[in-house]
Amino acid sequence: MSRLLTAWRLPLRLARRDAMRHRARALLVVAMIALPVLAVTTADVLIQTATVSGPESVDRRMGASQALVSVSAETNPLQQAPDPDVGYPVFSGDTTLTAPSAEQVSSLLDGARLVELRRTVGQVVTEAGRVGAQALEVDLADPVADGLVRLTSGRLPRSDGEVVVNDALVADGFRVGDRLGFEVGSEVAGGATEPVVVGTAESTTYRDLPFVAGPLGSLGLDSDEQTQWLVDGGPVTWPSVQRLNELGALVASRAVIEDPPPASEQYAEVRAQSGTDEGLLPVLALITVMVLLEVVLLAGPAFAVGARAQQRSLALMVASGGTPAQSRRVVLAGAVVLGGTGAVVGVLLGLGLARLLQPVLQGFSQTWFGPFDVPWLHLLAVAAFGLLSAFLAAAVPAVLASRQDVVAVLAGRRGDAPASRRSPVLGAVLLAAGIGASAYGALQPSGGELAIAFGAIPAVLGMILLVPAVLSLVARGAGRLPLTLRYAVRDAHRHRTRTVPAVAAVAATVAGVVALGIGLSSDQREAEETYVSSVADGVGVVRAYEQPARWDALRGAVEREAPGVQVVVQQGLTDSDGGYTSVQRPEGAGFISAGSALGSMVLVSDGPLPPGLVGLSDADARRAEQALGDGRSVVFTGPGVRVDDGEATVVRSTFDEQTGQDQTLARVTLPATYLPLSDPYDGPSAILTPAAAAELGQEPSVVSLLVTGGLDGDQEDTVQEALKGVDPSASIYVERGFQPESDALIAQLVLLGLGGVLMLGGTLTATFLALSDARPDLATLAAVGASPRTRRGVAAAYALVVGGIGSVLGALVGSIPGVAVTWPLTSSPGFGGGGPTGPFLDVPWLMLLALVVALPVLTALVVGASARSRLPLVSRLD
Amino acid sequence: MSGPASSPVLELRDVTRVHGEGEAAVQALRGVSFAAYAGELVAVMGPSGSGKSTLLTLAGGLDTPTSGVVSVEGVDLAGAGAVGRARMRRTSLGYVFQDFNLIPALTAAENVALPLELDGRSGREARALAREALAEVGITELADRFPDHMSGGQQQRVAIARAVVGERRLVLADEPTGALDTETGEDVLRLLRARCDAGAAGVMVTHEARHAAWADRVVFLRDGVVVDETGADHVESLADATAQR
Repeated sequence: MSRLLTAWRLPLRLARRDAMRHRARALLVVAMIALPVLAVTTADVLIQTATVSGPESVDRRMGASQALVSVSAETNPLQQAPDPDVGYPVFSGDTTLTAPSAEQVSSLLDGARLVELRRTVGQVVTEAGRVGAQALEVDLADPVADGLVRLTSGRLPRSDGEVVVNDALVADGFRVGDRLGFEVGSEVAGGATEPVVVGTAESTTYRDLPFVAGPLGSLGLDSDEQTQWLVDGGPVTWPSVQRLNELGALVASRAVIEDPPPASEQYAEVRAQSGTDEGLLPVLALITVMVLLEVVLLAGPAFAVGARAQQRSLALMVASGGTPAQSRRVVLAGAVVLGGTGAVVGVLLGLGLARLLQPVLQGFSQTWFGPFDVPWLHLLAVAAFGLLSAFLAAAVPAVLASRQDVVAVLAGRRGDAPASRRSPVLGAVLLAAGIGASAYGALQPSGGELAIAFGAIPAVLGMILLVPAVLSLVARGAGRLPLTLRYAVRDAHRHRTRTVPAVAAVAATVAGVVALGIGLSSDQREAEETYVSSVADGVGVVRAYEQPARWDALRGAVEREAPGVQVVVQQGLTDSDGGYTSVQRPEGAGFISAGSALGSMVLVSDGPLPPGLVGLSDADARRAEQALGDGRSVVFTGPGVRVDDGEATVVRSTFDEQTGQDQTLARVTLPATYLPLSDPYDGPSAILTPAAAAELGQEPSVVSLLVTGGLDGDQEDTVQEALKGVDPSASIYVERGFQPESDALIAQLVLLGLGGVLMLGGTLTATFLALSDARPDLATLAAVGASPRTRRGVAAAYALVVGGIGSVLGALVGSIPGVAVTWPLTSSPGFGGGGPTGPFLDVPWLMLLALVVALPVLTALVVGASARSRLPLVSRLD
Repeated sequence: MSGPASSPVLELRDVTRVHGEGEAAVQALRGVSFAAYAGELVAVMGPSGSGKSTLLTLAGGLDTPTSGVVSVEGVDLAGAGAVGRARMRRTSLGYVFQDFNLIPALTAAENVALPLELDGRSGREARALAREALAEVGITELADRFPDHMSGGQQQRVAIARAVVGERRLVLADEPTGALDTETGEDVLRLLRARCDAGAAGVMVTHEARHAAWADRVVFLRDGVVVDETGADHVESLADATAQR
């Protein structure tokens, strides 16, 4: 250990002093490491704070009691986790028990006093209507209930005619002294005599939701389904919990939640259920690797330039007897110092930011957060992540620094090691492996996304190793470029150690954005291609589920709110009497799905087809109307399936609950014309003539109103509101074809924005580091008469090279997983042989163009505008 | 001073160094043989491109010959490997450069202690030895100063202290006075001379005859070949002639 410390003492001292001497560069690296650490720290602390752990939630769940025991009316012996809110209890299905009584429960808890508690969600009657509210019935004055609510004004209820409400209900107009009506479901809760509000109190669980609490009976909540008791007695041990479990009671015990029993004493089956999500770990690993890679690549140029600035010191060290390992250590010590500082600063700032954001975030949450929670172990891991990323970012510059030509450096020349010939080969192999993994994932019947996602890692690493070869190719073809661009390309090639990570950082960012962008666009394309119109575009369908439906009033509401539209009353056979009608179609008649957007699977018409019926060709529509007019029923077949006209059997059945079998009520055989529907999903299965319906013994009834004449969006909203006014169960649906999800567009814009920020950050950093590194060359340019604007030109050209090459490479590499993922993402088995089945590929060309052309050009302009125009006057031996 | 009868501290035998390959190949040294003994200061002179600096980098183990043998205290540097050569630089030989080449982030004492610390000596021991070396060159009071805050002469004294700290027996100096004024240069040469008189072997590359006059012998190089080698008497006359001019 002491040898290790001795070996690192000098490098660390040199690194610390170097950081102090080059504060700007040091700050840049510290910021690059600190920012992701800060973001993760803030997110982690806020998530931990917002997540209320078992022990943190004990008071709000059970007040000051020792346990909360819940029993259902009918139950089974069960096995539960130490905290019943974690995972699910396992019920034994063999024995059905009646709910244990309070005496039974109490006797198992050494005669502890039980205080009954009832909770539900219901509706408080307000002046404007009704508002959903959380309700609690318990004797709030009982000390055992302390902690369930927090009184803010007035007093606690003393009788079942009194309640307290929270500020959300105060905002709805309730004041102390007001009476409050409470409903559960659509009925006024049993026995409720509108209690009087005597105070305001906040729930310790719910923050912003309307909440009302009072003693048992004050709100009329029933305990038919479930009874809960707060336990006032000694601590409830795990064996007691298990004994109660045998009676079918679920127990949240303060003592058990705060000090869970060892795993060996817990129920194995329950533990197995509450394991970690298996799919989550690889996804987290993937995200960690990609973020690490991005940070490493972004910080890489700074370390490369730092190592370059140190090269003379390192050469002197070698001249004084230093070994290559000691040279490497000096550069890596820079990573330790700056990475360590960045990690610590990031964690501390993250903690501060989380503290500041906590109340803001709490404002968006409907439940109270737990106490400010600092997960030190997590933060240690996050800080280690920061340190590791700095270490990895410095690794390549460190290795190259240890291989530099000492004599050349001491003589004032630059001692770049020649480019490795093996790296491009290894890069090509890794890229091929990435493509292979993507192809493998694409061809998997399920779960291929993970292989594709992990395949992206070797693909990106391979691309990074290929960057020097690409730079070399571009540099070779730079002969005819203008001076500034030629200089930038060749300089980028000559100083690969700083150029490669910068280009790679841009490329990795663009690759991620392109992969996700293609995935998102293709997903949207799939949604568009597989979209099935329920009815013809522009046609509205009014349906109502409350029986008997008030169709005339609904029709009146439509015609009143949308004058000029035509309303057709569609007749059909309904299931309202418990029976249902099915059409027995010939063998091979194809698939027709069970469900009809028009109100019924079996419609009734004496000629005209329902307006908006989709999937029927014009010729077949004419045949259908002809057939109905001639007294023949129309039976639909699957897409493209032609069946000769003949007869169809229509059966009216009902389900016999006693036998568990269908019981035929009526069966008729009718003359029928068979016609194919191009889309089997939303069409009816048949249209019967009124006579056929009568043969079945069925009186056709209205199943929907079909609205034609073009309802616009505003009219649709107005009609909807009017329909709800007539019948809350009624609604109108207007078919408008596929509507792209705004979420997808927002996601693409966010991706583009994020890509832009990272690209700008990476390019700016690399460019200004390059400019600082190229001071002697720029001085030479000045000496031979270059104008002051040349520096701006060089800066812009360098940014264009880094951004341009990076984004082109990134777009190419990102398209590999992007295209591959469309297979598992957008392929569907294709029910019934109808409709497109994918995969669907949609390349977002506009986004690609923005990434590959617009952003690099914009970045170059920003860099050019912000670069100093004055050329430095420095000695070449600087 | 030890005479040629004792074994040399530095010996080059038929050393050739070719830089580059094919048409771009440059022969920096061609079959050079040369030795420096304990107590002896040898000056190497020659025009630019004659191979002086190459000779010094080979002697310091910073480079290896294309053919021939370079040995320090009897150890073949090429055969010692990179790690062995690094150890030799830490323990047996020291460099003095024309432009001082101190590490700006380290204080004078830390610069001098650098080879010792690299060799794994404890910080306290290394600093104590460094202070002794600084005392030898007369700048103990600058021990905690950074190079940026020292004059050229002071920096070169620190560089000499770094080159001689510990038990080094070979000091290699590449134009050690090139960046100094005459008076300071003389001081530096006096220190080098004193170190050699104390038993070290010194090899100094120089352009100037008056500086070469401090040496016991002068080796002349031209186009990578030793063209002449003179004794101390001739060096003194050279210096006189230079002074008269």
